[in-house]
Amino acid sequence: MIAALVVAPILAGLALLLLPRSADVAAKWIGVAVSFAAFLVALSRYGAADESVRWLQRPFVANFHVGIGTGPSYWIVLLLTLTSGCALMVTRLPRMRDFVVQMLVLLGAMTGVFVARDLMLFALFWDLMLIPVFLTLIAWSPSKTAGTAWKYFVYNLVGGLALLLATAAFGILQGTTDVLGATAGAFATSGGWSFWIFAGFALAFLIKTPVWPLHTWMPDTYADLPAPMAAIVSAVQSKAGLYGFIVVGLALFPAAMHAAVPLMFALGLIGLIYGAVAALVQDDTKRVVAYSSLSHLGLIVLAIFSFNPIALGGAVVYIVAHGLFSAGLFMTLGEVEAREDTRMLGRLGGLGARNPRLAGGLTIVSLAALGLPGLCGFAGEILILTGLYQAGYVWQTIVALVPIVIAAAYMLRVFQGVMHGPEVDDLPEREDMSPLELLALAPLVIAIVLLGVNPGPVASSPHSYETALR
Amino acid sequence: MSEVRTLGALYLIWLLPLFGAIAIWTLGPQLRRGAGWLGSATVIASFVLTVLVTILNGAASPAARSAGTDVPLVTWIPGFTFGLQLDPLSLLWTLIITGVGGLIHVYSIGYMWSDRAIARFFAYLNFFVFAMLTLVLSDNVVGLLVGWGLVGLASYFLIGFWFYKPVAVAAARKAFVINVVGDTGIMFAVFAIFAATGSIGYAEIFAKAGTLSSGLIIAICMGLFIGAAAKSAQVPLHTWLPDAMEGPTPVSALIHAATMVTAGVYLIARFAPLFNVSPTAQEVVAIVGAITMVTGAILGVAQWDIKRILAYSTMSQIGYMIMGVGVGAYQAGVLHFFTHAFFKAQLFLGAGLIIHALHDEQDVRKMGGLYFRMKFAFWAMLLGTLAICGFPFFSGFYSKDAIVYGALEHGHPVLFFAGVFTAGITAYYMFRMLFVTFFGPYRGEVPDELLAIPPPAHTAEAEETHGAHAPAWLMNAPVAVLMIPTVVAGYVSWGGVSSPWYRFFGTLFGESDNVAGVPLPIPEWGSTLFVSLVVTVGIVVAYLRYGTPAAQADSIERLRREAVGMPPALRRAFWFDDAIAALIVRPAQALGTFFARTLDPHVIDAGVRDVAWLAGALGAIFRKLQTGLVRGYALTIVIGAACFIAYFALIGGAK
Repeated sequence: MIAALVVAPILAGLALLLLPRSADVAAKWIGVAVSFAAFLVALSRYGAADESVRWLQRPFVANFHVGIGTGPSYWIVLLLTLTSGCALMVTRLPRMRDFVVQMLVLLGAMTGVFVARDLMLFALFWDLMLIPVFLTLIAWSPSKTAGTAWKYFVYNLVGGLALLLATAAFGILQGTTDVLGATAGAFATSGGWSFWIFAGFALAFLIKTPVWPLHTWMPDTYADLPAPMAAIVSAVQSKAGLYGFIVVGLALFPAAMHAAVPLMFALGLIGLIYGAVAALVQDDTKRVVAYSSLSHLGLIVLAIFSFNPIALGGAVVYIVAHGLFSAGLFMTLGEVEAREDTRMLGRLGGLGARNPRLAGGLTIVSLAALGLPGLCGFAGEILILTGLYQAGYVWQTIVALVPIVIAAAYMLRVFQGVMHGPEVDDLPEREDMSPLELLALAPLVIAIVLLGVNPGPVASSPHSYETALR
Repeated sequence: MSEVRTLGALYLIWLLPLFGAIAIWTLGPQLRRGAGWLGSATVIASFVLTVLVTILNGAASPAARSAGTDVPLVTWIPGFTFGLQLDPLSLLWTLIITGVGGLIHVYSIGYMWSDRAIARFFAYLNFFVFAMLTLVLSDNVVGLLVGWGLVGLASYFLIGFWFYKPVAVAAARKAFVINVVGDTGIMFAVFAIFAATGSIGYAEIFAKAGTLSSGLIIAICMGLFIGAAAKSAQVPLHTWLPDAMEGPTPVSALIHAATMVTAGVYLIARFAPLFNVSPTAQEVVAIVGAITMVTGAILGVAQWDIKRILAYSTMSQIGYMIMGVGVGAYQAGVLHFFTHAFFKAQLFLGAGLIIHALHDEQDVRKMGGLYFRMKFAFWAMLLGTLAICGFPFFSGFYSKDAIVYGALEHGHPVLFFAGVFTAGITAYYMFRMLFVTFFGPYRGEVPDELLAIPPPAHTAEAEETHGAHAPAWLMNAPVAVLMIPTVVAGYVSWGGVSSPWYRFFGTLFGESDNVAGVPLPIPEWGSTLFVSLVVTVGIVVAYLRYGTPAAQADSIERLRREAVGMPPALRRAFWFDDAIAALIVRPAQALGTFFARTLDPHVIDAGVRDVAWLAGALGAIFRKLQTGLVRGYALTIVIGAACFIAYFALIGGAK
């Protein structure tokens, strides 16, 4: 069943190509159904046993080994399938059928990344998830040139190649790549080649997250992607790198991870401040979210490299939390854009008066994003920072508090800029959120509240990686 | 029955207002004014339950009452355990929040009678009550922080309630962001506390208070105090409070006067066991409180907007409370919260009666002579004014006295004189407001230029339809009820340390370390007499300037002269806003613009492009180098990449 989570969406996506081009509505609802079915299956697989099929024997052992367990994989796959379904529900695009194909292939590939228990498989899906985003950027980007698409492609291809090389090198060195499901530390390496191999993985992870200064592909990509896919890429794909640091880095390269702490702390802290300050002055609402992601994900980098169990638990909470609220932000801001044909703060204003439901939806996701206590963002932040402080990083913790204040400023600037103030006369008047759009946002809002009230199960999910912390 | 029992009522007390908020929110506009009744009913029900619990627990032993009761809610990770607790301190706040809150809810039905968005208003107001109860009922510091953030959110919603007004939107954002500054202070305290004690629960923290180093305790206390200062409008984090008056007047009464802004006082009283062992931290708190007290009073002298006068007076009075709890006179500081909740709610609701009757006029220069038109409002305002001035035998008299004398008792003569001095100014500006508003000719028809009122920066059309008017009793009854405690609330402290007030708290606050053993220069009645004298002087000066028949007859010209001659320091409120804009906001924006417009596209991006290009055409590199066309930042990136590789190579080689 876990393998089906990976394979079925991809097959379903390809099968959609058999439908006539005009079958937009059918394609959309098939996409929604597949995503939610995957969500329900994943939900029921808590703690399920791994599934493995023999694959390669030479030059090293590699298996089609997938598992979902009770760790970060489980929660991230739930996040992925849920946000995919919700985002697809409200998609309105030209050439809908083809777009759903891309979404489903992306869903399958990303699920593959997060359930792979074999490094080779992990690397394979890692590169596979590049393709649908690239094609979507080519075909649906509003800009005339394919500049953004190529930028995304080149950056991530470099990362992907580094990952593939590192995986191959690891396989040759250890004789097997079927190592992610093993007891943490069983295949831990140190010294010599392992640092080079880790550097390869780290480069891929840093680009994918992205971590400053490898982030410049991100604002362009998020701005040009259609809102539903931007939601998925920002919510889940950007977590692949952070997830990689946990399941690959902590489990296999603890020594190299320790050695990388000063560098990663520097990059994380710079990104934390840089992203927040840059988000403060963006006029494009999607770019605000993009730069805010740079800031938020920098915090997770700090958490992972603090080698503190509380911070690590907080990191997983924040991975899921950021996924929920950034998906919610892209969806609601996408709905604003679909209504008003612009997403520029300079043009928007006063929509709240006629769109109270949309305003309510944007309020809740913005509040989660700015870390309002009681919602999911806060739960992640406070656990991470508590752990950072406990690990002895006192001044780093204080620096990390600054972006929380800036986040309040830029999120309210977006929310109020769109919804509040006097109504702008020359904006088209459109209907408020439809029941369907409300229904699509509701699961995210419920999850945002639930995770904010009790992040306990998610926070304790990375227990199996904690051995590496000592 | 010797132990404190809540019989599950605690959950109900806490959640009823939330249920009200959710019901109003989901049922939405269909409810119209029914939303007001539903909201009021849930808050009043909470109040009744709290009173019942209080009565039932009257039989508990004093020690058990002090310790209170605790019910668990949820555990995140070991050490992060959340629960509710009801001890004297949280009980007192709960009574005020639900009691005064219930009255203000009823008043709001009348005040918001014709507003289209009345349901939204009550959803927010109920949510506020829930959030505030979360803050005070929490048995741990993270739960307090959750309530702390949620009250900030409710305050944001309600300041910006009329969100089509740009000033209201800006004021709401300012309040929220400054309060997040405070939140981060408390977050820091949480980290330090958890790292040192492994827990977030008050009981566990205080049990280990003795084992913490003094430096750590100062750090924790300062973190907490940053939170308290932001929420309670202490200098220099006070600038949001006057702007917050953009919200509807009942909101100003409930959130920005009676309850939320006193959360800082609650926080410091709650952490008394930590502050008690850190005289340095106490000193800082007391001094900042005193500075706020004086600053607020001085700025109160220079205001023309009736709500801004009251806002600065709130700031000043909270300064008193913070000074009180800062010097270690917890009972006195908390008593002033108790009396202030009544008389300030009274003043704001009285001001609301005037504003409502004058169709949203708030400038006292456009008032005058209202005594003859609104006798009830006049008496309400007069009682409130006498109480806030500390006029003998009104409620504020007892609490203010206790604070200034407490400052002397704990060895702070300078703060004592500051407190007495401020009492004089308070009497002056409050009576200035009273005379200008209620006496002299009515100036509502006088053109703005004659009163030196600047033209409005923008015109926002009035949302309210003034066709239908609420029955008068809806707004008058809560004000009438508040008159009683406004006068008598201070009597609970009759009898000093053996009074019901002191017995109520028992040993909750412990013994402050810095009670000076020195004999005091004056006895308590001497201090009382001194304060009363200064207050009388303040009232007399206000009368001479604004109240004499000559001054009343000539009021238009006098007010114009005063407005024109206002010193810039007062007009710009000591330039706090300008300083924050120049030192923090504008540099941050400039930096962001530099990052996003210059660094990202022209340095990092271009650099990466060049690396790709260089990698593609290795031969061309050298040619370019020779012709000197390689851009500096390309080189930087190459060096950077080399460092990245070298870093791992060196580390790798070292092992």
